[in-house]
Formats: sequence, C-alpha cells, structure tokens
Amino acid sequence: MSILKKIWKFISSMRFAILLLAVLALACSVGSMVTQGQSFAWYAQRYSERTAALILALHLDDAFHSWWFLLISAFLCINLLLCNILRLPQLILQYKSETSPASVLSGKGDISSNGISDPEAVFRHLRMPAPTSCRTDDGRNAFFSVKNPVGIWGAWICHLGILLLIAGFTLGQTTQQQFTVYGVPGQTCPIGDTGLLLTFDAFDVALRPDDTVEQYTASFTVRSTEDGSSRSASASVNHPASLYGMKFYQNSVGWAETVTVTQDGQFLQQQILCTGETLPVENKPDLIIDFTAFYPDLVMEAGSMPRTATGSLNNPATLYTVYYQDQILGMNILMPEEELTIDEYTVTFSDPQMYSLIQIKRDVFTPLAFAGGLIIMLGLFCSFYLQTEKLWAVEVSPGCWTVSGCSRKGGVLFREKFLREVS
Amino acid sequence: MMLQLENTLFIITMLLYFASMILYFVFIVAKKDLIPKIAILLQLAGFVLHTAALICRGIGAGRLPLTNQYEFATSFAWGLCLVSLIFIFRFRFPVLGAFSAPIIFLIIGYASMQSKEVRELMPALRSNWLGFHVSTAIIAYGSFGVSFVLSVIFLLREKIQSGAFLDRHIPQREKLDLISYRSVSLGLLFLTFTIVTGAIWAEQAWGAYWSWDPKETWSLITWIVYAIYLHLRIRRGWQGRSAAIFAAIGFVCVMFTYIGVNTFLPGIHSYA
Repeated sequence: MSILKKIWKFISSMRFAILLLAVLALACSVGSMVTQGQSFAWYAQRYSERTAALILALHLDDAFHSWWFLLISAFLCINLLLCNILRLPQLILQYKSETSPASVLSGKGDISSNGISDPEAVFRHLRMPAPTSCRTDDGRNAFFSVKNPVGIWGAWICHLGILLLIAGFTLGQTTQQQFTVYGVPGQTCPIGDTGLLLTFDAFDVALRPDDTVEQYTASFTVRSTEDGSSRSASASVNHPASLYGMKFYQNSVGWAETVTVTQDGQFLQQQILCTGETLPVENKPDLIIDFTAFYPDLVMEAGSMPRTATGSLNNPATLYTVYYQDQILGMNILMPEEELTIDEYTVTFSDPQMYSLIQIKRDVFTPLAFAGGLIIMLGLFCSFYLQTEKLWAVEVSPGCWTVSGCSRKGGVLFREKFLREVS
Repeated sequence: MMLQLENTLFIITMLLYFASMILYFVFIVAKKDLIPKIAILLQLAGFVLHTAALICRGIGAGRLPLTNQYEFATSFAWGLCLVSLIFIFRFRFPVLGAFSAPIIFLIIGYASMQSKEVRELMPALRSNWLGFHVSTAIIAYGSFGVSFVLSVIFLLREKIQSGAFLDRHIPQREKLDLISYRSVSLGLLFLTFTIVTGAIWAEQAWGAYWSWDPKETWSLITWIVYAIYLHLRIRRGWQGRSAAIFAAIGFVCVMFTYIGVNTFLPGIHSYA
C-alpha cells in the first residue's frame, strides 16, 4: 500500500476520529482552565512570568480561536466528511439488503428456535411489523419482518448534523456582524457602519415588591440614513427584537447621570455620562472627569468597599475620579446635594437614571447551526432507539417452523426477549 | 406553607433513601432474597415523596425548582433515582439499587447542605427554555450516574468469584455491558437535548448560542468523552472492561461539569 493510501485510510478511519475527539476534549479542558483573553501582565501576576510567556506562545489565552484548535476542528470535519462519503454507498446497499427476503433468510440469526407451531404469534409478541410471505431458495414457505431498518442511518445522520453545526458555527463566526450601543431615552447612537441609527425611546425596569428586577425592557426606533425609513420595537431579556435583518438584544444595564460643569459660576457644558465614561472639560481638555461608579442605595461599612444594598434610588451616591494630565487628582464619593470643586470649575452629577445596553447581531448562519443540532438529536435517536431487528420463520415440515432473529445492537437483551416470547 | 411541607417531605425522602440504602447493604451481606423487594419499595416510596417535595417547592416558589445549587442537586438525585428505578424494573436488576442508593443519598445529602432559600429569578432565567434545558440535564446526569454504577458493578463482577447468589442477582458481564451502553445512550441523547436547548436559550437571552463558557465547554467535553465511549465500543476488544472504565471516566466529567465548574471555573452559568 502506498504511503498516500495509508494516509488516506488513516484520515478517514475511526481510530483517527477517536484520537481527534480525545485531543479536542483535552484542548477544550485546557481552554476552560486558562482564563481567556487576558494580557501578559495579568497572567504573570496570577501565575509567573515564565508561565505567562508560555500561555501567550501557545495561544492558550485565546485557545478556542488558536491555529491548533482550528486545525483539530478542521481535521475532525475532514474525518467526518470522509467517513460519511465513504459509508454512504455501503449504507444504501445495506439498507436495501435489510429489507430484501433473500438477504434476510440467508442471514445468520443471533438466535433460533425450532418446532414452533404458531410463528406469527412470536412476531406479534416481539412487536414486529406485519410479516411478509416469501419462499426460501429450496421452495419452503417462509415469512419475515424487519423492524426499524432506518436505524442503520443513525450514526450517519448524527455525523451530518455535526458537520452542519460546525459549518454553521464557523461561517457565523467569520461573517456575522455584531455591534453594541447604549444610552438613555432620547439618545441616538449609530449602529456601526450599517447606516442605521438607533434612538432610545424608553427604558423600563420592572421591579418586584422586594425590589428585585423582574424584567428590563428597552423601546427604541431604528432609522435608516439611506432611505429614511424607520421602525420601532421593544427588546427585553429573553425576547430580542428583529429589525432590518438584525436581532436586537437587551443585553445589559447600568447607571447614567447628567454631568454639568460650570466655570466661575457660568455654565460651561453638560452631558449625560454612563458609568465608566469620561468627560474632558471643554476649555481645559487635560482635566478629565471620570464617572467611575454609581451606588443607588449606598452602604458604607468600616473596612470594606462601598456597595449598594438594593437597586432602588434610596441613598444614591456617585463615585468619581478626576484626572489632570493623566495623573489622578482625586477620587471620592458625592452625595446628590454635593458639588465637586476643582479650582474655578464646579461639577455636579444629577438626574440618575438607568441606561440600556443593546447588543445587535446579524448572523444568517445561526439557523444552519441549530439545524445541525436538531439533526444530531435525530441521528442519536435513530441510532439508539430505532435499533434494527429482523425476524424470520421457515417451515421445516408441515405446521412446524423454525423462527430466527437478529438485532444490530440488542445482543443478549434481544436473545433473552426472544427466548421469553418463544417460551 | 408549601415550603414547610417541602422541607418535611425532603427530610422523609432522605430517611427513606437512607433506609433503602441500608437494606440494600443488608441484602448484599445477608443474601436474603426478600430484602431487595422491601428496599426497592422504600426507594420507590422515597421517590414518590421526593417528587411531591419538588412539586411543593415549585408551587411555593411559583416557578420550576431548577435554578440554584439546592434545587439542581435535589433534582439530580431525583433524576438518578428515576433512571435507576426504570433500569431496575426494565432489566429486573435489583442489585443496581444497592449501588445507586449510596450515590443518590450522597447527592441528596449534598443538596441538604445547600441554602434552601427561595429567590426570585433574574430576568435571564425567566424563560420557558429553563424547564427543557435543566430537566433534560437532570435525566442526562441521572443516566450517566446509572452507567457509572453499572460500570462499577461490571468491574466488581470481574473480581468476585461466581456463585449461585451472584449469578441469580447480577447479570453476566455481556448483559451488564449492554445495559451500561443503554444507559449511556439515554444520557447522551438527553445531554444533546440539554446542549441544544441551552444554545437556543442562550441565543435568545445573551445573543450568542455558544460562548465557550466553562459550563458549556465542560458539557461539550462530557459529550465528547461519551462519544469516544460509543466509538470505542464498536472497536474489537474495547467492549467490556475498557468500556466500563471509560464510562466511569465519563461520570467524573459529569461531576466536574456539575460541581467542579461551579466551584473552580466561574462563568456566565455562575448562578447554576
């Protein structure tokens, strides 16, 4: 056998499939153990510099998108594809022969019983489909029945499902468009480079009597800058909206406040900031106000970090940081009536409200991946629960029959069932 | 009221499972044929009360009791008991109960150590998919638990010399291997349901059906390990002992997915 043939045989073999699955499981476990997407400094602090260097060199920081992970997945796809292509003609032949009398009657039964006077009763008790009459090669009366011949397709269907799922996932990952916008009612944000604008119309937070959140619902209008059309929709958690071929998910929430800056008592600027956003002072850009955090129901306990007791505005407080020329000038907590004064500037935080973060996605291959998942389930069901069983009876002498049967996966359980019913 | 009743039923369930476990143990030691019947009856009674306890919790909480560590642990024990009883009756195999009862008792014991506080669901968990996703996981885990028990019985049967009692109550290795295969098949089918329904739900809730979250990743690893088991069984020489060892390894993955991931690898499933 030439080396190429050997390679071809190995790549399409089950041994290679098992090896790939084992390596894939190992790769996944490594990827789950190493925190993904962190910097060298982060890994160095957590482990050691040498380990951090090793993690980055082996792409373990982004294991599931690394070249070696993609290579394993690609080999698995090739193996599955070859397995399905090579098995298809065999399966078609096998399926045809499963139901042909000549093949059934010449088959080797897992078990037989002689001297049966009422073979049809055995078929009934074993819940076989209505038997088909035929004759053996030597002209004796016979009949046979095949249950679940489709079961032989189970593994093939399952492999097809896996291929579709991987194809859907890979195509989705490489072609999908994903954007994030956030804001409070009245604000308008562009949706990436799609030529669409999203305006937040309302944001409703439904609270239960115990102050826990029941649902977040964002209402918004999407307007096309190209044709001027606009459509409105609402998205809440678990209920995304679909507009312009994209899905809009109510993904996250946070707090926003109106920040007003005055200089020597004169109004200078005003802007709504969400937590984590910064505001450079208009006529002194080196001076930056950072809206660090917001506590709607502040609790300050000695020796611990500030925290919020509930999500309601019972005791609101703002944590700010002021930077000047990239150096921290100050950081403190402001209560609603308090002002922050920096030289001639006065900064106030007011009108706290929740903002909505909307995730927007266009992935036309998601249905393909889901179809793959459903096909895998179908394949597994066929493979496990539509097990092919064959039963045939041949008349040995008038009124005396031999009944034989076989099962693809029933083994000893089928033999026990057969003997129970025959007896 | 309902939650108090649930608590009472839960305690009685634990006692019944414990009594059944002891009786199974006595059966193995004393080798009296009548004992397993009583043990199965006790296990069955425990299962009925366990079901009632879960229903009471569901009514008391106003939702499916499948959302925190306590609820999932008690449901896992319920699932293992259900699959174990199905296999005991289906294959007329009471000794299976002797080996599954300690695991059921361990899991329900673990549940009893968790907080029983009923908390309102966060918005992401308020979905009809919750029922499909978690209930299929319970059946999957229960089935894998039974396959683990069967593998242990298989491996023990190799070590223990045959005798009339053993032959009467424990099937031959070929049959044990096949029953274990059936159990893995059921588990793998339901695990696939779990992963697919979870992906559909994640797509609705988070906008991404697969995020390589540790829980997702370990469910996939578990799926792969059992897929390897199924492929290995087809290969000559891998049925029997090797398959039993592999099925046991698979259950270690299941337990890591359930407890290990929650403990060591926090992710977006951290509430689970």
